[in-house]
Amino acid sequence: MKKISGITIILTLIGIMLVTGLAGCGSDQPDIIVGGKNFSEQYIMAEMLSILIEDNTDLSTDLTLNLAGSVIDDAIKVGDIDLYLEYTGTALINLGLEPGGSSEEVYETVKREYDQQLNIKWMKPYGFNNTYAMVVTRDTAEEYNLESISDLTAVADQMILGCTHVFTERNDGYPGLSRHYGFEFADVKGMDPSIMYQAVVEGSVDVISAFATEGRIAAFDLVILEDDQKFFPPYDATTIIRGDTLEEHPELEDLLNKLAGRIDDNTMAALNAQVDLDKREPADVAREFLEQQGLI
Amino acid sequence: MKLFSYFVERPDVIFSLLLEHLQLTGTAVSLAIILGVPLGIAITRYRRFANPTMGIASIFQTIPSIAFFGILIPFMGIGRKPAVLVLFLYALLPIIKNTYTGIRGVSPFMIDAGRGMGMTNMQILRMVELPQALSVIMAGVRVATVINIGTTTIAAYIGAGGLGQLIFTGIQMVRNEMIIAGAVPAALLALLADRVLGYIEYRLTPKGLRKK
Repeated sequence: MKKISGITIILTLIGIMLVTGLAGCGSDQPDIIVGGKNFSEQYIMAEMLSILIEDNTDLSTDLTLNLAGSVIDDAIKVGDIDLYLEYTGTALINLGLEPGGSSEEVYETVKREYDQQLNIKWMKPYGFNNTYAMVVTRDTAEEYNLESISDLTAVADQMILGCTHVFTERNDGYPGLSRHYGFEFADVKGMDPSIMYQAVVEGSVDVISAFATEGRIAAFDLVILEDDQKFFPPYDATTIIRGDTLEEHPELEDLLNKLAGRIDDNTMAALNAQVDLDKREPADVAREFLEQQGLI
Repeated sequence: MKLFSYFVERPDVIFSLLLEHLQLTGTAVSLAIILGVPLGIAITRYRRFANPTMGIASIFQTIPSIAFFGILIPFMGIGRKPAVLVLFLYALLPIIKNTYTGIRGVSPFMIDAGRGMGMTNMQILRMVELPQALSVIMAGVRVATVINIGTTTIAAYIGAGGLGQLIFTGIQMVRNEMIIAGAVPAALLALLADRVLGYIEYRLTPKGLRKK
């Protein structure tokens, strides 16, 4: 009898694991899955889209966060997520097109190409442009008299660049920047975006490729060097959504477009700062903003 | 105490992610046992397949987990299914290898003794080989499970959920209390799982073979 009970225990355990595990794959599917990349702005905006939809429709939503840029691009194509916040400049590169053009031109291009190639629809822009910003500490700026990216030409060979891994590889990142402005840094260190700001403040790197809407730029008293030779493409942000999701729930188009023009660079930087610096929950920050705007 | 504040503030979040974590690891390791143990037994009978089988299982082991998760996205998308597949493949090697080694290690005299008593091949497997090899097989299952609980944290990279969700988000928002809230329960889960499997091993061992 003892042997049977032992085997019973293990089979029961395996059975429970399989049933609950596999059941979790199928049942309780939410209507809409909101995706998000792996940084605070994306956490806030994913929460905001989810709250906006749940409060204004009968649809249920679920969040899938912390997806890397390449992962989220595949995820929306195969339909594992329905919508997320994308930037026009990033989309241009995802399509394999060369960076360049005004905000409006880039928006129209990616909107058209995403629709035709992928059946993914672009909503109207929120109003902020989260472009790359070359950033140094105030001390460094004063020491070398830096105001624009061109000013780096003379001193770049003594400096270390800290940036995301993506920035080291892409044409809208360091390789393109280096060709465009004609200088190279002494060394380039790829790192997670969350530690970049700390790294430049501590002096382990001299320049970082920050994001323009990052709350820590102001909080750490960092200086943005002007992109005087207009290298970085625009990164206007908005919601993109799968065409078949929109067909199924056409009411979403008007709803999502309610965010259009409501969030400028400073507003987004302030929302980011509430999460990164004041350590508030992204969902609370998102809900508060929607309430202030009268959208929920 | 700030480091542990997340435990006090959001125990519900931690608990539901812990459950997700357990489901991912549990499903993957269970599937690996269901396939790996019979396969390990089979290659002791058909020995020319032994090296190729373990060779293939070893290859999966050498692929860095984050790369493995990434490679599968174009084929399987994101979420639980690809995560369970990768975790399952990672769990296979220790289970197949230990099953094979354990059964090969059973003294041929014992098998002869069984045969002399008129046992069929199935009876020898069930009553002689498996009980003798049990501790080695279970050692493989325990290693597979403990490592798997760690690897499951990486599955958050493809949106599979689990405690890795807290670790990734915590790193991103520079909130150490979130990283701790993901890492500590994962470590405790690994220790607990090892103890539970140890108990199961004890219960499965026939009385005559139990070490006092």
